Amino acid sequence: MDLRPVDSVNTAFEHYKNIIPDFSLFQESLKVLFPVHLRINGLLATPSKVVAALKKKGICLKRVSREYNTLYMAENLPYPGNLLEYFLGYIHPQALTSALAAMALKPLKNTFVLDMCAAPGGKSAHLADLMENTGFMVCNDLYTNRHVPLGHTLSRLGVQNSVVTGYQAQEFPLRHQFDFILADVPCSCEGKFRIEPKGIPYREDKGKVQLPEIQKKILLRGFDLLKENGEMLYATCTYNPAENESVVNFLLNERDAELLPIDLGVVFEPGLSEWNHETYDRRLTRTARFYPHRIDSVGFFMARIGRK
Amino acid sequence: MKTLDGYFLFERKKGWFILGKSEQVKNGAHLKISKVGLRAFRKVGHFIKPTTRFIQAFGRYATKGVFHMDTLQFRTLVQTGEIPVDLAMEKGYVILSLEDNVIPGLGFYAQGILRSQLPRNELRESMLE
Repeated sequence: MDLRPVDSVNTAFEHYKNIIPDFSLFQESLKVLFPVHLRINGLLATPSKVVAALKKKGICLKRVSREYNTLYMAENLPYPGNLLEYFLGYIHPQALTSALAAMALKPLKNTFVLDMCAAPGGKSAHLADLMENTGFMVCNDLYTNRHVPLGHTLSRLGVQNSVVTGYQAQEFPLRHQFDFILADVPCSCEGKFRIEPKGIPYREDKGKVQLPEIQKKILLRGFDLLKENGEMLYATCTYNPAENESVVNFLLNERDAELLPIDLGVVFEPGLSEWNHETYDRRLTRTARFYPHRIDSVGFFMARIGRK
Repeated sequence: MKTLDGYFLFERKKGWFILGKSEQVKNGAHLKISKVGLRAFRKVGHFIKPTTRFIQAFGRYATKGVFHMDTLQFRTLVQTGEIPVDLAMEKGYVILSLEDNVIPGLGFYAQGILRSQLPRNELRESMLE
């Protein structure tokens, strides 16, 4: 793997200058540490009780949106994993945008659900929460060493409707079709980058050039695993259009797929219709780009997909 | 057992796992599965021991074998691993219950001593502050 240090964050993301709105604010936002976001786990706790219990401990939770009573920002809480509520499975520290992925897919109760790249399990557990532990969910991850943290997360959060499998996502067996599929694919994770206090420089990873090909294969397989009225969410935590719009554009060219609107009640930008001399299907503007300076969380991309 | 009527019970090695019953479960029959549902019990010597996570999820339905403790008792149990108590029962596992129906897990009672069965690597003293 070729890891090449880059001088500063400015040069690292300079090539996105024309696609990220308010670019200077975006760059400034990378100098601030991520706030701690928590999701209250409805499978084991009720939001009002958890908020009150944490308040007693001097921890003030701020609701991130009027629409969701389970998503909060916790100020002055560096280690949420040190709380009794974490041990009890009442809370799960999770980037806001990660929580929004499950919200965007919104799986219904008693349905058949697949999480194609499930580890470490925060989004899977959230899907189970939204399904109220009904139906049946397959949490898949290729790497068996990731099954341990995946299993721990699911157990701690009281998930009782799921199994874990270890297939390559792009080769997941086609025998049955699913109502809802989450494809939170491996990506270059650019959206997680912030300038750290120790000044560790951003590193471009040349080994990641193969990612779009893998992502396309996973997305195609996910689509082929979808029921007639099924819905799928493709998600990454990168700004890179080659891993986002370009991958979804590939699906639109290869299959009778449709892009469904995303309505989350939080600020996001529409997907791109062109980048780097490549023009995408106009429908790509229905996808969603989340930027850290707009949402104070990890940079993220989502496409909600159905069949035509 | 009515509480668990809505679950399948799977046995694997020395453990038992529960999975919510659903029409959809049969769709997974062809899959090669590495972990199923929530581990509910494991065999420890002659005992069938419920897991901490199972008790946290289902302990509230228990009608007996529950020990209600105050914060000080809980703190001592976590710090020292045991507390002296007088329970009108023979030796066996006891569900630990705190204020507001908070159920952290299990203890084991024998001869006037309640020993913590809480996972030491997951429940730290700093969590009690």
